[in-house]
Amino acid sequence: MISTRLMELRKRRGLMAALIVVFIGLPTIFLLVRIILHAVDPHSYSPAGGYDIFNNVVDGVLFVFGFIVAATLGCFAGSVDLTEGVFRHLVVTGRSRVALYLARIPAGLAILIPLVAVGFTILCVVCVFAAPAKAQYDGLNVPAGLSRSAFVQYAEKHADAVDCELPSRNIPFNFPCTPTGIPSGKQLPPVVKLPSKAKLDQIAGKIANQNYDAYKGTFRVPPVSLMIETGLWIELEATLGFVIGLGLSSLMGQRTVPVVILIVFELILTPLLADHTISHLINVQRGFVGVAMARIQPSALTPVFGGQNGPGATRSLPISLTAAICVIVGWIVAWTALGAWRMAKRDV
Amino acid sequence: MRRSEGNAKVSTAVTDQTQPDVDDSWAVETKGLTKRFGKSTAVDGVDLRVPRGSAFGYLGPNGAGKTTLIRVLLGLTHADGGSMSLLGYPVPRHRDQALVRVGAIVDEPRFHGHLTGRQNLQILAAAREPEARGRIDASLERVGLSHRANDRVSKYSMGMRQRLGVACCLLGDPQLLILDEPMNGLDPAGMQDMREMIRSFVAEGRTVMLSSHLLDEIERTCDAVAIVDHGKVIRQGSISELLSGTAFELKVECSTPGVARDLLATTNLGGAQIAVSDEGLHLGLPPDTTRDVIAEINRKLVEGGIAVYRLEANQASLESWFLEVTSRLGESE
Repeated sequence: MISTRLMELRKRRGLMAALIVVFIGLPTIFLLVRIILHAVDPHSYSPAGGYDIFNNVVDGVLFVFGFIVAATLGCFAGSVDLTEGVFRHLVVTGRSRVALYLARIPAGLAILIPLVAVGFTILCVVCVFAAPAKAQYDGLNVPAGLSRSAFVQYAEKHADAVDCELPSRNIPFNFPCTPTGIPSGKQLPPVVKLPSKAKLDQIAGKIANQNYDAYKGTFRVPPVSLMIETGLWIELEATLGFVIGLGLSSLMGQRTVPVVILIVFELILTPLLADHTISHLINVQRGFVGVAMARIQPSALTPVFGGQNGPGATRSLPISLTAAICVIVGWIVAWTALGAWRMAKRDV
Repeated sequence: MRRSEGNAKVSTAVTDQTQPDVDDSWAVETKGLTKRFGKSTAVDGVDLRVPRGSAFGYLGPNGAGKTTLIRVLLGLTHADGGSMSLLGYPVPRHRDQALVRVGAIVDEPRFHGHLTGRQNLQILAAAREPEARGRIDASLERVGLSHRANDRVSKYSMGMRQRLGVACCLLGDPQLLILDEPMNGLDPAGMQDMREMIRSFVAEGRTVMLSSHLLDEIERTCDAVAIVDHGKVIRQGSISELLSGTAFELKVECSTPGVARDLLATTNLGGAQIAVSDEGLHLGLPPDTTRDVIAEINRKLVEGGIAVYRLEANQASLESWFLEVTSRLGESE
């Protein structure tokens, strides 16, 4: 029964085209354009890959739009038999309506998961093999993966840039910076004296020491562990979108309105509830699956919802890991149960 | 030509709504079956018995509750009262066992238009027992769709979709087929094919229950019938027995109808009603009128100097009888 359901979904060309465009087409075209631009004019266009690109494509395309497209597939799978009038033929076979409903889940995921995997793999390959030579940290190109002492040494050798670019705390120095770093003596007014080079190097070393913990979370290329974590996280988000779409469309007996509801849910409601703490509704907010998914987002990525920019930033709405997992599992079970119940009770 | 009383398996009792016979060999049996939609009662205390191995018509005008009854039987909607069984299995309690050997079309057969006929059958066969997959080719062959099996259903005609619907029914090697308005949208040739298919199923020992508002088709196809109106079964039994109480009409084309009427008025014709029209005489005779009576009428007219051009005898059809019964029921209510 699962294989025939898979066949029925797979043969819908328009739907399959939409899935392929979002999960594979958009990232591929984006990266291809970047590769071409960098190849044509490397001074004006940075390399196509790298950690930042990985971060941006995951957060901006695969996570949010992946949910929406997966939910669309779920809405389709949950309602198409009803809307095309085929469901009564299936009921009349005597097969349990709940079994007919549940067969849609593996069939839909069999389409969704490989597509997400292909798109994500393309992103990982480009981000690793077309990465820049150095990592970007707070506007500076620095070698990635340095130890603390190596980072301090690097900073002392590039004191002019480090002193001007990197943030510092309680380090007294007072000299003007230009967009290119510490100005030369000729560029300064006569009353302003630059510290000695040794002093500037010492300051750079202290600044580097202060920034080392944040620097550690910077990557030239996404580490393998991060890629695996992120891949699983995106697959889970797509699965959630599919299951919720399936349940909602089965509940409502149609697909257009559920798709609209889920777009509003993902693009408007979830960011609002994840980014703002409403004191009387905090437990309700914690019950939203988008908040829970933001909680289990790999910490090396910029938070999609509910947090400040930058890896490792704290999130606006605190929620424990256990609670987040319970919320995610609860949503999967609840929407599956709702959809199956409605399918079982519906007059056909 | 309507189906005759020759089928030995058909119940011979003409039953009123209130006193059905009791028998355990029914393909479909309902007792007091009721279904309501809000304040409206679509199926109203229906007692129905469909004999095994027969073609059974469920006949009624549009809106009588035919499709609703079928939907209740098949578990597409729940009943509000009464009991029912399919092939001896009480439903809905043993619905899965009952429906294994039931094939049904409810309303117009619907399919995934982007899939081929064969692929649609594969989906339905997958929901049945494993052996159903092996019956796909045979089902397509039986309904004459083998040559179009790999075409998309969106390109099928109405008749082809009806036949594909029958093919779906055959996937489970059914003992009982329930067909809701199977002749809808078919041209005369299509109706003929469907009729022959139904008779062939019955000849194989299967039971076919079909609902229709096409009275002439029910008369031609079925052995027995239940008449339904406003959710109630008015009559059920074999067609011949239902018609045994109906009137007999004789049409006489003659030279002087007025004179002929006056002449026959003096003849004892068992209370016949005589009417004159431009075409001739119309005599409404008792149901048990014999050929001797017709011969006597002809002799009287000829001896009376009236030229008789044609005699045409008509037993009332199921259609005329149906209209008479339902209009009488309406008047009595």
